[in-house]
Amino acid sequence: MSGRSEQEQLFREVARRELAAGRIDRRDFLTRSLLTGLGAAGVGAVARSGIESAFAADSRPLTPTFYQWIQDLHPAIPEVNKRFPGINYQIAPVEGFGIERFVAEAKNKQSTWDVYVGQTPFIEMTAFIKAGVIEPWDNYIPKEVIDDIIPSIRAECSVDGKLYSWPFLLDVIGSAWHSGITSKAGVPDAAPATWDEFLVSSKKIVDSKAAPWGATFDAHGWRSLVPVTHSMSTKVYTDGLFDFTSDPAIEALKLMKQIMAYSNPDILLEGSSDAGVNSTTDEIAFQAQRVGLYFKYFNSPLRMAASWDDPKLLHLGPLPKFTNGEGSTVFWTTGCALFKYGQNKEKAAEYIKALTYDQQIWKDSIVGTPGVHPGQLPPYKSIYADWDAKKPDWMPPFVGLVRSQLDRAKAIDNNLFGLQQFVIGKPIWETYLKGQEPDPKVAMTKVKEAVQAEIKKG
Amino acid sequence: MAQAILDSKNELAGRVAEGPVDAVRKGLGDWLFLAPAIIFFVGYQVWPIVRVLWLSFTNFEFLSDKPAQWVGFANYAQALQDPLMWASLGRAALFTIMFLPGTIILPLLLAILVDRVGNQRLATLYRVILLIPAVIPSTLIFVLWKWMYNYQSGPINHLLVNVFGLFTLQNAPQWLGGTALTLPAIAIMEIWWGLGYHTIFFIAGLAAIPKELPDAARIDGAGEWQVFWHVTRPQLAPIMMILVVLRFGSAMAVIDEYLIFGGFNRASPTYTWTMFMYDQAFKTGLWRQGYAAAIGMIGAIAMMFVMAGLIWVFRPKG
Repeated sequence: MSGRSEQEQLFREVARRELAAGRIDRRDFLTRSLLTGLGAAGVGAVARSGIESAFAADSRPLTPTFYQWIQDLHPAIPEVNKRFPGINYQIAPVEGFGIERFVAEAKNKQSTWDVYVGQTPFIEMTAFIKAGVIEPWDNYIPKEVIDDIIPSIRAECSVDGKLYSWPFLLDVIGSAWHSGITSKAGVPDAAPATWDEFLVSSKKIVDSKAAPWGATFDAHGWRSLVPVTHSMSTKVYTDGLFDFTSDPAIEALKLMKQIMAYSNPDILLEGSSDAGVNSTTDEIAFQAQRVGLYFKYFNSPLRMAASWDDPKLLHLGPLPKFTNGEGSTVFWTTGCALFKYGQNKEKAAEYIKALTYDQQIWKDSIVGTPGVHPGQLPPYKSIYADWDAKKPDWMPPFVGLVRSQLDRAKAIDNNLFGLQQFVIGKPIWETYLKGQEPDPKVAMTKVKEAVQAEIKKG
Repeated sequence: MAQAILDSKNELAGRVAEGPVDAVRKGLGDWLFLAPAIIFFVGYQVWPIVRVLWLSFTNFEFLSDKPAQWVGFANYAQALQDPLMWASLGRAALFTIMFLPGTIILPLLLAILVDRVGNQRLATLYRVILLIPAVIPSTLIFVLWKWMYNYQSGPINHLLVNVFGLFTLQNAPQWLGGTALTLPAIAIMEIWWGLGYHTIFFIAGLAAIPKELPDAARIDGAGEWQVFWHVTRPQLAPIMMILVVLRFGSAMAVIDEYLIFGGFNRASPTYTWTMFMYDQAFKTGLWRQGYAAAIGMIGAIAMMFVMAGLIWVFRPKG
């Protein structure tokens, strides 16, 4: 291929990418394609019209930015970075899940970074899309990778059939128990199959004084109300919003109140980091070995048990279900967002593929390293299939358990109020949990009204 | 003398010779020297206020691609009808009431005590000790007090439950995280944190009072309380006014501590108007920054009225 026609090809490719990214319309694309067909004169005209700058921009090194906790929990990431010479690896300015810097840059049609690793679909993905901060991965992610994503995860990461979050770290909510405490209380050393069993065991732990408290949970809605609701039914979403007045949601709230009779009294207090969302009271109780049963995403009990005298006393199991319930739970992934005004998009896809398939990251995550034990899992079918075919000697049983839960688990629907609906609703449904409102239906109706009122504001 | 008259005449002649061009040049020179301060003042203080004021009259949403439209006083009307606006202003005022006396009374007492220490080395040592909390970075202060107040593992509840037996693990005080105790708990932390800083203000004020004044009062038969009330206190009035006004403003506008100790729970006493504003501007929906700006302006106007009242009450008299 001659130098000139090679340049024309490159110009066409850039125009195609810009069209796919929505930065130029079809008319611009056709004009540029025609111009490039005009040879050197056309190339010059195209270059003057802006494509030259697109080429020049791609000259910066691949610049990913990570939420700090991901680096803290996954120390093998720098090893992956070594395979990408010149990579400009950075920590994102998103303390407290604040995304304002990304939005502000996108408004100026620019981005300091190419890819953000730290996006949770139900939390900020819709906001990113509405503000034009990110673009879908579909033009860059290899087809074999997109087909390899577990279907429920692919659904979680997609909007209108386009993949806006390349999934990375999977969290599923299940149950955990301290076998030292349960044994002392004469409770079966197995995951309670139903919520009734969960309550009976909790009571036994308290009555036997094996521990001050029988059970605990994280009071934030997406970590307690939603998984408990899903354990009865996942058909609780209307127009992308959680239906607080649905029967499963009401039953979930009633169950939470029943569990609270055996839980740490500070269970409803806000946490002490990330604007109250993290370092929650359930974690403190479980870490202090003051409670026997627990349900939360698995990396929480794994992290808390790491400081026990004997971390092997920790056991993990599926979330209990209601009798005749669906037996589902909730999961979410923390994934990667592709900045619309970033650069190096093909390189970014190459990097994220290497990152998300890295065996060392997954081994460290599952087994733990001397400092951390996140217990987060991969989003790909092929990795689990390989582990099924040849089970690694380090593989703990909870991995297969989580994988099997995924076929029934459901993510929270993506919505601009995906997270906020639970933040707005929490103090209102807590009026029932605190005994200020005797009727759970009344409390949940008020929650629904408050969320709708906030949505109406804009 | 003759020489002085001659010099004066020459100077006058020089001035008369100064034409309009020279005057303009001199005027420009003045403005040139003033320019850095003006640029800083306008860019850093006036422009943001004007910008927020303009935003408050629009329906600007940060995540939306629609241009902002002028909506007049609609945001103000909506905010004033929102019960959360009033509740959140009330919570900020409640915190200020808990906090403000601690920034005046305690530091004033401490300053009087330190001022009476005759041994100069000991007096310096006391001042250094008092200033220690003021030089600790805020992050460390928050981490320290979060641990102190922790329900399950903090030393305060450990003392109350395990040492003094006043409570059990089931009914121990829940200090932080959105309970009724959260605001007093934060106020105690803030008073402790600013104690040395505020005390230094009063020590400086006490040092400026001429010794003859209290001595004369004592000779006239005044007791120590009368000396304090009729001599020392009026002399410290300007410092009190500065402290009250400054700390009123900072107490009403607290946000970091509330974010850390209370989160975005709208029923929490820490969800004040600053949190409400932040929530609307950066968390909720399409980030309604026009509405958030109106909330901010309402809070600021309310504060200005109270500040004017405080300046009047604490004005130096006589």
